[in-house]
Amino acid sequence: MISSANALWTVAASLLVALVLHAIPLPFDWRWYRPELTLLVLFYWVLALPHRIGVFSAAITGFAVDLLEGDLVGGLAVGAVVATLIILFTYQRIRQFNLIQQGAIMGMLVALALLVESWLHQFLGLPAPGYKFWLAAAVAIPMWPVVRKVLRGLRRYFEVS
Amino acid sequence: MLLLCLASLFYLRNIDGLAGARAVLMDGANFIYRVAVTPRDAWASVADYLQSREQLREDNRRLQQENLVLQGKTQQFVAVMAEITRYRALLNSSQLVAREVMVAEVISVSSDPTRHLLILDKGADDGVKIGQPLLGAEGLMGQIVEVGANSARALLISDLTHAVPVQINRNGVRGIAEGAGDLDHLIIRHIAATTDIALGDLLVTSGLGGRFPPGYPVAVVSSITLPAGAAFAQIEAQPLAHLDRGRHVLIAVASEGPAAFSSKAQ
Repeated sequence: MISSANALWTVAASLLVALVLHAIPLPFDWRWYRPELTLLVLFYWVLALPHRIGVFSAAITGFAVDLLEGDLVGGLAVGAVVATLIILFTYQRIRQFNLIQQGAIMGMLVALALLVESWLHQFLGLPAPGYKFWLAAAVAIPMWPVVRKVLRGLRRYFEVS
Repeated sequence: MLLLCLASLFYLRNIDGLAGARAVLMDGANFIYRVAVTPRDAWASVADYLQSREQLREDNRRLQQENLVLQGKTQQFVAVMAEITRYRALLNSSQLVAREVMVAEVISVSSDPTRHLLILDKGADDGVKIGQPLLGAEGLMGQIVEVGANSARALLISDLTHAVPVQINRNGVRGIAEGAGDLDHLIIRHIAATTDIALGDLLVTSGLGGRFPPGYPVAVVSSITLPAGAAFAQIEAQPLAHLDRGRHVLIAVASEGPAAFSSKAQ
């Protein structure tokens, strides 16, 4: 078994897998319902290991998603950093919540990240999603228990800390 | 960290020296799309393999017939092209450029629902350049906007940020077809309410602006509204190309020779 402190590659690998899942082709108009898995995975790790995974990882993840989507690089990164800061300030409280409450919080954080991105895009004159980004946030809520279950399994198995 | 993100957002994108790095990163991102579609491709190849002999024979027969018909049409085309070239020479107008096309495979569509971006499997190594037009079997699809070494991204004409100069094939009235963020319609702006335009008019690229060569079909007019008192008509057109289907697209590559438009425009 891998020594605990060095198991951070699990984090990187899970983020990469989430990125690949994020790139799975969907019909044109279904793309609104994509649950921003990468953000959820990032939020899980921030919540679980706030002393290791923080704004830097958030920015890298955001950059990666922006590159993947062909957006202006940095838009979602700003959103992810803002949402991550909120988790870092309140992780002790969020950990006490039950699954449904946590799911709701995560939905709101995803919405916040996407909102910040769409503000920046609007500011720069790029196409912004209007209010449709709520769809992605709404889909993220039922996804959270799944993400948490899988990643908690991974974290315990590889003793990531 | 926030400042770094904002800096990249506002400043880094304008630095030309980073173009190489951007291309490499984009190739990496496109590789992720390739990985993501592997299951679909694997399934497609299995289905291909299991296709019955009868089916293949049927396909073969149909394609041979189609080929014959198309070849017949091409014979006329050659004669017509020769004639047009002569007329254009008589008019002292610039020669039409013979465009070569390259077939590219669509790997995927960008995950961002606000954008209409295609990920293609050909890149700078194959001669793809930024700005080259993307064609479907039925009409213009878009243009190349980002190029990596072995992959590229193309913006569809339906994207909110895309606009293409068009003219009505019937009478040469010019306009600009803007994407509306919707696959089903483009918006034609700045056509005066008194202009001769009718439902079903074919819009072709006008070649103005120097980005698209003239004469490629783009869309047909699908709705015309004349708001009382407004100077311009509200016109919508339906793109001819099937923007969301088909695995293969054509990239028009300019061949050596006289340009289709004035050298100043280029």
